[in-house]
Amino acid sequence: MPRRTDQILGVIASLAAAGTLPIALAVAPPDAVQGQAQRLMYVHVPAAWLAYLAFAAVLLCSIGYLLSRDLRWDRRAQAAAEIGVGMTALAIVLGSLWGRPVWGVWWVWDPRLVTTTVLLLVYVGYLGVRGLSADPHASARRTSAVGILAFVNIPIVHFSVVWWRTLHQPPTLLQPGGSHPIAPGMLAALLASLVTFTLAGIVVYRRRLRQLAARDALLRERFADSSTAATAQEPAPAVLVIPQVFR
Amino acid sequence: MSRWPQPALLVGRDLDVEVAGREGLTTIPAFVAAMVVLAGLGFGPGPEVLRATAAGVVWLVLLVTVVPLAQVLLAAERREDSWDLLRGLLSPTRLLLGKLSAAWLWLCVVWLVAELLSAALLGGLSPSVPLVAGGLLGTFGLATVTVGYGVFLSSGVSRSGLLAVLALPAGLPVLLAGVETSRPAAPNAWLGVLLVYDLVSVTACWAVFPVLVEE
Repeated sequence: MPRRTDQILGVIASLAAAGTLPIALAVAPPDAVQGQAQRLMYVHVPAAWLAYLAFAAVLLCSIGYLLSRDLRWDRRAQAAAEIGVGMTALAIVLGSLWGRPVWGVWWVWDPRLVTTTVLLLVYVGYLGVRGLSADPHASARRTSAVGILAFVNIPIVHFSVVWWRTLHQPPTLLQPGGSHPIAPGMLAALLASLVTFTLAGIVVYRRRLRQLAARDALLRERFADSSTAATAQEPAPAVLVIPQVFR
Repeated sequence: MSRWPQPALLVGRDLDVEVAGREGLTTIPAFVAAMVVLAGLGFGPGPEVLRATAAGVVWLVLLVTVVPLAQVLLAAERREDSWDLLRGLLSPTRLLLGKLSAAWLWLCVVWLVAELLSAALLGGLSPSVPLVAGGLLGTFGLATVTVGYGVFLSSGVSRSGLLAVLALPAGLPVLLAGVETSRPAAPNAWLGVLLVYDLVSVTACWAVFPVLVEE
């Protein structure tokens, strides 16, 4: 994974952020109703977008591992899940900070809020499943299964809450439905933020992948040293055959 | 050669193990009763509030019961060290069918106990076809969650709290749909939600089950 590519991407992401900041803070007008608090949208929405993108990547990488049994797919899934969990938590916190001055409450039972919170819980659990087993392939199998089970459930969770809300409360401004006109400046700021977050997410993802690959390489070396030392003595325990399956 | 299919034999075996060890019988009914009583204390004492929350209490109890049930699911096999033998004798699909049937049976019993306790202590039980259909469909959905996550997390490893973190959010659609089918004016759409959930869950569980039982 060439470092030069990461450096170039990092520079591009930094430039994008530098360009987005003035657009979001100065060019985009404040909302007529919500005032300056609405500017949190330029971080909240991209954070949620990046989280959903990351979790979709977890699904694809989980399927990739189960089909190929290549641990590189598992590393990709782990890196994506970590970004997804971080961005989900950020989206929820920012949503609360935005909601307090606008709605007057820290929390409402909006389907998107509920679904996003469920996502956070599920993928925190996903990360917790990692490391249950010392065998990297056993761990990868379990987390891949959890990654697939978690993702297929999310649409049902979301629509269940939408219908539940519809049944128990008339649609409010919080409900998605119909297009709300958005000022060109706001739209530009939002799109710029989305691009910036996506680029920054890719940069962080690639760096994290490199860290995980280095960690696995270090583990391979340690097991190789242990197996060499043990060769002339007693038969190696099963755990030392693990390096054979690393790729 | 037995005339019963292997999944049915597995359910029979689980029943025999339960009768012999009473692992679930000593924990789960008491757990259900405690939750219903505590719910009454937490939400009460106003009868109107209790009646309004009765359906929610039942399904919340069912959802939370998934956690201890998943741990009981393979407790006997782990204790006797016979899990590997079972995995060797049965295909993953038959193993899933057997364990799923056993878990569904358990959850149906829990649902019945919770509904009766809720009717007696909280009021508001209205026997109806949607209620029963919702009970059967909802417990089946929760059974797939129990088996899916229970298989690899019930091995007594550390981080047993992970089961709650994974399984409870996964059962959220059942919680919502189950409550709605319990209400007197229950729309059939919620039974449809349960049916879709069951189909998606069992398909996903069946697809990944060979991976989950692989050691």
